[in-house]
Amino acid sequence: MSENSNLFDLSLRLPLDRFELNIEYTGSARMLGVFGVSGSGKTTLLEYIAGLRKGGRGCLSFSGESWENSKEGLFLWADKRRIGYVPQDHWLFPHRSVRGNLEMGKRRALEVGVDFEAIFERVVEVLELQSTFDSRVDRLSGGERQRVALGRALCSGPQLLLLDEPLASLDRTLRRRILRFLIRVRDTFDIPMVIVSHNPMELQVLCDEILVLEEGRIVERGSPEEIFRRKSMFDTAKEQGFENVFSGILVESLDRTITLELEHEGQPVRLRVPKVEGSVGDRVIASLASDDILIATEKPTGLSARNCIPARIEGVEETELRQFAIASIGEAIPQFVVELTQDAIDELSLKPGIDVYLVFKTNAVKV
Amino acid sequence: MPTIYETIFATLLWATMTCLVVAVPGTALAYLLARRSFFGKGILSTITTLPLVLPPTAVGYLLLRLFANDGLLGVNVLGIDLNILLTWKAVVIACSAMSFPLFVRTARVAFEEVNPRLEDMGRSLGFGACRAFASITLPLASRGLVAAALLAFTRALGEFGATVIIAGNIPGQTQTLASALFSAQQSGNESVANNLLLVALGVGFVTVYATEHLTRKSQKTKGGSR
Repeated sequence: MSENSNLFDLSLRLPLDRFELNIEYTGSARMLGVFGVSGSGKTTLLEYIAGLRKGGRGCLSFSGESWENSKEGLFLWADKRRIGYVPQDHWLFPHRSVRGNLEMGKRRALEVGVDFEAIFERVVEVLELQSTFDSRVDRLSGGERQRVALGRALCSGPQLLLLDEPLASLDRTLRRRILRFLIRVRDTFDIPMVIVSHNPMELQVLCDEILVLEEGRIVERGSPEEIFRRKSMFDTAKEQGFENVFSGILVESLDRTITLELEHEGQPVRLRVPKVEGSVGDRVIASLASDDILIATEKPTGLSARNCIPARIEGVEETELRQFAIASIGEAIPQFVVELTQDAIDELSLKPGIDVYLVFKTNAVKV
Repeated sequence: MPTIYETIFATLLWATMTCLVVAVPGTALAYLLARRSFFGKGILSTITTLPLVLPPTAVGYLLLRLFANDGLLGVNVLGIDLNILLTWKAVVIACSAMSFPLFVRTARVAFEEVNPRLEDMGRSLGFGACRAFASITLPLASRGLVAAALLAFTRALGEFGATVIIAGNIPGQTQTLASALFSAQQSGNESVANNLLLVALGVGFVTVYATEHLTRKSQKTKGGSR
């Protein structure tokens, strides 16, 4: 498939209880994120794409293949769309073991010419499911159930993977762990995905493009690097747990901390962050809350904070609830959002183009 | 005169046949009522349940009208004599009419307890509607369906009112455990009545206990693992 061809061509009007889902989208993002608060229509949209919900007017095609066209009376049910669907509640088959669940999509995989044994082995390896093989699914932990649901969808040979709030039902530690599995899945299987979430961080880590849904309509569309930094989006994103997300290479492992080197063409940027499993050379995803960062106009001394990075202010914004600065520390590194009070902005005379230092503690970084 | 064992054997055989007769249409109707919305669903559900609340003799009389010579399924209308009345076939028909609502109600609950989201998951894995039913819904509802069959069996074992009207109480031909017990009591044959009572109690206890057990177990597994 050509990189530039449109994967999705979607035009939908679907009446719901409180509003009408009204979506117009054409795009080629292989990792498409749909962000919105609860009740904005995200799951309904995903079910519609999956072919599990009927009753809309419009058309939907994926990768040039028409799945629905209400004018022509065309509607393909989920079994004809070759999708893998991972719902928020997993819905594993209770009468089957883990292996049985993974094998439920075998027939479809074989029908579409997928080497089931090979993909099965790969899925089991990537999602580390060996130890749970013969377990009953009601004995699994939340994280294991999530991985089995993901594995079940992958083993069926889908051409599109649909994930509904993949991390919502997990606690924070588990969420980080499953996020790493999702990154592995994305990097290993190269299957286009639509990921629905109310958590900006997950979408920033996983997606190429993000749509923001509000009462059934797309109100914003953009790249994960910039969409949540928009003045119009920041308050909502912050309320839903927005954090600055970045990735780096583990270059040094100490007793309780590690050093990450951020990808940067000029002077390497090194950060001290809490210890995480992994060895030198591994890529680590980290996040940092926008209100855990200090800005200094001169390099501070005598500080306990271990991270003090030169940066340049790219913008200063004010929303209804907050003021924040956008700081850049390197071309290839996502910009950082730093929340400030108006007093601080005035006293430091922060404006675009001035050089500053971003200061934060090791433990403020979550890995 | 048939022995008590022959009567018991015949009753068990007819009850088993009743299960076989009601199982397929009962399962289909129960699934329809559990999963689909359609015009007249309430009416259909009420008609299905009616034999549970009507006096069995009323059901028997209705069947008698149906199979009488001038009835809808009688020789004058069909042109052929089905030869139903006062035969073992009438016993099975009467038992089926009385067991059908019990089967459907129990099976309907069994299907309702299987979350339809599990079928959706099947569809997303490439299952057509029939395969999703056969591979997901049916296995998950199976304990409930077996319980429904056991209840139908038990109801057939105890059926008297409708049976006696269209099949009569002919020893060696249409006499069931219930009608034999009635005859024994009426004729003052206490030892036979006591023996039949013990058999009825034993079989009834085992089947109802098994039904309870299956229903409890099935409730634990049907929801899907979330």
